[in-house]
Amino acid sequence: MLALLKLLQSLVRTLHSDGTPAQIAGGVALGAALGLTPLTAAHNLLVVLLLLVLNVSFGAGMLAWALFVPVGFLLDPVFDAIGRRLLDAPSLAGTWTAWFNTPVVPYTSFNNSVVLGSVVGWLLLFVPIFLLAHLFVVRYRATLGARIQRSRYFKAFAASKAYNVYRWFYPE
Amino acid sequence: MRWQGLVAFALLLGVLALGWTLLGDRVVESTAEEATTKLLGATVEIDGLRIRTAATSLDVGALRIADPFDPMRNLIDARDLVLVLEPEPLLEKKLVVRRLVLGDVRFGTARERPAPPAPRDGFAAQTLGEIRRWAGQFERPLLSFTPIDTLKQLVLDPAQLATVREAQALAAHADSVRGALEAGFRGLALQATLDSARALVARLEGANPVALGIEGTRRAVADVRRTLDEVNAAKRRVESLATDARSGARALERGLQALDSVRRADYAFARSLLEVPTIEGPALGNALFGDVSIERFQQAVYWAELAQRHMPPGLAPRERTGPERVRMAGTTVRFPKAQEYPTFLLRSGEARFTLTGVGGATNEYVVGVANVTSAPTMLGKPAVVAARGGGAGNAPLLALRGALDHTGAEARDRVTGEITNIVLPGIDLPGLPWRLEPGVGGSRLELALAGERIDARWTLRADAVRWVADSARLSRASMMETFVGRVITGIPELELDARLTGTMAAPSLSVRSNLDRVLESRLRAVLGEEIARAEAKARAAVDSIVQERTAPLRARVAEVRADAERRVEAATASVDEARAVLDERLKSLTTGVGGILARPK
Repeated sequence: MLALLKLLQSLVRTLHSDGTPAQIAGGVALGAALGLTPLTAAHNLLVVLLLLVLNVSFGAGMLAWALFVPVGFLLDPVFDAIGRRLLDAPSLAGTWTAWFNTPVVPYTSFNNSVVLGSVVGWLLLFVPIFLLAHLFVVRYRATLGARIQRSRYFKAFAASKAYNVYRWFYPE
Repeated sequence: MRWQGLVAFALLLGVLALGWTLLGDRVVESTAEEATTKLLGATVEIDGLRIRTAATSLDVGALRIADPFDPMRNLIDARDLVLVLEPEPLLEKKLVVRRLVLGDVRFGTARERPAPPAPRDGFAAQTLGEIRRWAGQFERPLLSFTPIDTLKQLVLDPAQLATVREAQALAAHADSVRGALEAGFRGLALQATLDSARALVARLEGANPVALGIEGTRRAVADVRRTLDEVNAAKRRVESLATDARSGARALERGLQALDSVRRADYAFARSLLEVPTIEGPALGNALFGDVSIERFQQAVYWAELAQRHMPPGLAPRERTGPERVRMAGTTVRFPKAQEYPTFLLRSGEARFTLTGVGGATNEYVVGVANVTSAPTMLGKPAVVAARGGGAGNAPLLALRGALDHTGAEARDRVTGEITNIVLPGIDLPGLPWRLEPGVGGSRLELALAGERIDARWTLRADAVRWVADSARLSRASMMETFVGRVITGIPELELDARLTGTMAAPSLSVRSNLDRVLESRLRAVLGEEIARAEAKARAAVDSIVQERTAPLRARVAEVRADAERRVEAATASVDEARAVLDERLKSLTTGVGGILARPK
């Protein structure tokens, strides 16, 4: 666990130059894909690439991954139903057939109901997740942030390793 | 943008590539094991898989496919497999095998550990379950030679008899017919009509046109005519009810007649409880060799059924359960398209194997397959299999040919395999303390499936059979079993001919052999009279219960019919009488005014 925290800490130091609320919210919205959709599906490579090259909080993305994994499990039946409906839709049959017979695309497993449903679900939730995360960070900084920073608990916490994780959500 | 992120991503890809290099063979091996196990419904074990990336081929050290019907046996045990894949379809996640070679194949080898059963939710396991249920539907007559003098005391539970169950249902129907007739009679409202007619008649009693005057007579005639109309309407209702009553009674009569035919099934059931020996030829054939024939057919049908499911006709999207993972598997849909690669295609493959014949004579054989695909319509060619070889000296002679044509709307499979000059496996004879060892002989299996229709035939011929006694059971054998043993062990050759015809949902099995023909004539001579007596006993037991349970029902049906007839008759008489009186009254009223008021026709 400590090793993982250390790794994430070093990644944050390297990549996270400016933790604005939008950057954190962007990281959370992208990282949610890793938790909401089956991890081994090929589209998640693209998500990781975006987390790495876009100026968003990579650490927030990793945290969102961990947070959204149980949500993904809970929503699997819903994703399955969405995916089934889309895959069975006669109007989309031509698109799926073309994709199924296009090089590389089948490796995304788009033709699996849970993968397709969860990707579509994530895309639909992308903006709400971004806005909620943005609102949360702004409100936090405006209200609790300063008070918590002054508290002796926080000072004790700041001296610990866990503080590094906390700093992902705090501007440099 | 953080361009340095590309370095981290490249690092991640590097780690994945390293992982693939180190573990790729194992991952593919395990994935292939899982996928083929799911596909075949039988445990598949793969050892020593090596990926030759540059040659787009796979080398496999060993492949074992367990027998889905016998977990302690391998159906196929092959070594030195080479799969040469076409690279372009791999980009579309499709597997096109240009060439498959199995170097050294053995059949029916023993397993050290039992093969685990196929996943229960997989459709291969479901197919296996369906085939087992399918095999279970065949009736194999009981081959029992219980001494006739120790025939069981027959104790029948009335609830076991179909006739009793049918009689109970018919009794409920009789009650419902009676209830319907009651309601019909109440609905006639006959009494009100008759009372009204009587009141009118009483009111006009002694009245004449002179006393009533013209106006009074006109009103009286109008009243009589209206009442007559009501009486006529009541008559029509009575007639309609009489029709319903007759139809209900006829339905009950038919029900009673149907009980007689149901009783025949109960005779057969009671006979089976008595374990009366079977002596008719066809039944003897099914009893002696039904199990072994069904075993052969069910294996052939299982593989044909799997082929039909994995190689479906048409280009409609195909659904499969998604891959196993911690997350929900979901459903994976394939979208085949004409002029594209199918998801799986084996262009050509061959397997080499050795068979041992008489005196250890061996020969090498080659079986070839081609055009095996998950989308036959896309390929437009039937999958074919063929093998031939041997025949020289004492080596077994093998001929196999088959075509699975799923290119049209209806799947058509035809496979014929014949092997001669080989040591045939032994056959247990159910109910008898002898095992048949056919020795050297020949066997032929033909299977033709066209949609739902099946036509299969299995023949076996051996000229020097051996009978191996089960000494423990033989010492307890009854006199009849000893007699049967004497008859069959005197027969040196075996000719077996099993046919399976009809539809998959309702197939019919017929097995004949030289054994049952001989046995039939000998048993008929010795047991015919005793069996007739036992059958009479079974019939008497059934008749006694059925008579007891159906007698009240017959009485009830007769009562319902008689009651309906009586009430209809009484109602008709009352209506006719009222009508006659009203007619008379009308006549007396109308004749008295010089025909001014015409009588109704």
